[in-house]
Amino acid sequence: MIHVDNLSKTFRDPKRGIHHAVDGVSFEVRPGEVFGLLGPNGAGKTTTLRMLATLLTPSSGTATLNGFDIVREPGKVREQIGFLSGDMGLYHRLTPRETLHFFSKLNCMEPGPASKRIAELLTMLDMNSFADVRGDKLSTGMKQKTAIARALLHDPPVLILDEPTSGLDVPTARTIESAVMAAKRAGKCVLYSTHVMEEAEYLCDRIGVISSGKLKTVGTMGELRAATGKERLREIFLDLLGLTAA
Amino acid sequence: MRPFIVKAIFQREMLDMVRDRRALISMVVVPLFVFPLLISVMTRIIPRIQEKSQTEAKSASIAVHVTTPGLRPALEQAGMKVVEADDLKAAVLNKTVSAGVEETPGTPPAIQIYMDNANTTSTATGDRIREVLLDARNKQVRESLKSSGLDPQILTPYTVVRTNIAGDKKMSGAAWGSMLGYVLLLLMFTGGMYPVIDMTAGEKERKTIEAFLASPARRSEIVLGKTLAAAIATLATAALTLGSLVYSVKNNASKLQGGAGSANAGQIMGTIPLDAHSLALITAALVPMALFAASVMFAIALIARSYKEAQTYLMPLVFVVIFPALLGGLPGLEFSHALYLIPIFNTSQIIHGVLLGDVNMVNYGITLAANLVYAGIAFFLATRMFQDERVLFRS
Repeated sequence: MIHVDNLSKTFRDPKRGIHHAVDGVSFEVRPGEVFGLLGPNGAGKTTTLRMLATLLTPSSGTATLNGFDIVREPGKVREQIGFLSGDMGLYHRLTPRETLHFFSKLNCMEPGPASKRIAELLTMLDMNSFADVRGDKLSTGMKQKTAIARALLHDPPVLILDEPTSGLDVPTARTIESAVMAAKRAGKCVLYSTHVMEEAEYLCDRIGVISSGKLKTVGTMGELRAATGKERLREIFLDLLGLTAA
Repeated sequence: MRPFIVKAIFQREMLDMVRDRRALISMVVVPLFVFPLLISVMTRIIPRIQEKSQTEAKSASIAVHVTTPGLRPALEQAGMKVVEADDLKAAVLNKTVSAGVEETPGTPPAIQIYMDNANTTSTATGDRIREVLLDARNKQVRESLKSSGLDPQILTPYTVVRTNIAGDKKMSGAAWGSMLGYVLLLLMFTGGMYPVIDMTAGEKERKTIEAFLASPARRSEIVLGKTLAAAIATLATAALTLGSLVYSVKNNASKLQGGAGSANAGQIMGTIPLDAHSLALITAALVPMALFAASVMFAIALIARSYKEAQTYLMPLVFVVIFPALLGGLPGLEFSHALYLIPIFNTSQIIHGVLLGDVNMVNYGITLAANLVYAGIAFFLATRMFQDERVLFRS
């Protein structure tokens, strides 16, 4: 599970001065749960996810992922997570199959089980037709499927997914949502950041709304409806940000 | 440090490198084709230009203002066409004639040859005129001595002959050693530059770095895997440069002239003093240098946010490389052991020494040890920087 405790991140910029990107955020995500992290651009979602993935060091506070502390045991934490960054980040000169084999080695997987797992993922995400095409020749959807496969590759107990369906067509987004649901059913702990309200409503068991680095609220859809008196997540989200739906 | 992770990163970088057109151009195409092309130009075009100038000089038009008897006929007999011109200098500069000859009265009279050294035909004509006039003067002196009843031999009571005892191998070492070190080191840096940029700033620009850093690979393993791949790129560039240069010169040895300042320059340049022992010594000296070059470039390129920015940071390094390499050519420089602590300079001097067959093993040891220490320091700095989120996520 993920346990985030009073996590903060401050950046010092010569031009902008001190900027509190994340300010005392606390929440937890249980096994078999999809937790949606929602917020406008610049709210602190990506910084939070980067801290949990041990890419950034918190200025204060900490978090544990599957029992390992992100500050004291970053190496152990990285063994527990499958991380999908908002930019996909695929090697242009490698094919999806080569990329997956490379990451299987980084995750200390044995060659035999790695090949078997890669074959499974290629089939599950409908990637066989482009598994041997170089990254620079792939469409956005193909790249995102590859990035998802990379995150799922070593069957990690925790998934951190930053806007996994951003810019994708409906069928590809559906494939990725199915993969997330399958991970949930398998008992994985999924932290899911998105801008797509319908998707969050459909996928997430609980939702946290973050704005200006602070977590405004956390709850199930029912709890959020009760707290705001609004029906749709889009209206709830705007209400929490102090804005009115059109 | 887990070797299998380092190996995986190294292999991926190598695969990426051989598929990267820019890296291949700097690593393979430039070293393989630049020297054959340059030497081909040197051995084909330059002799042709010289030959053409000399042929033209034999029948060139010249303007002559002389009064001493016999000079004008001597020039005409040599095949030169004498034409009229009032202003000799202007006639040479506007190419009406290839050269001009003017006599200033006096005791003895002075003969001035005007030529335009920016024009090869004019230069060759001037040289030809000088030869003809000196022959005519010598002939006149000999005839005067004879008519006075003296033996012309009194002008040459003895001859002076210079004999080079260095031998072809040593001469070849001197000729090769003076340039090979600089060329190798310079191309090692330029050859490794693009792969290093691609694996640092390129990785940031393509946003591949986040997923990589979120993997269980440790930062030191990532830096080592990448640095080893970059070092291989610099060594590959050095090997290809050496191979291409040796092949080109050997195949054109007979056509090379004047390179070592002697008549058998071609033969000297063609006798490259590279036996297995020399090659092993040079290779062993280049390995720590390659690790040093790769680590330094890695640390510098890592600061950059983009490919372009990294190029801007690394380009001045080429000049930094040239400077210590040229230091060896400074007159009066005493080659103390301490000088071999200077990176780049030490390696270029060691290559020079190996090719001369005169390498001091103490200096060789200092060079290897110093470069390994510098490589270690640069690697340590690169690893520290790779752990700094301000460097990795600079925006």
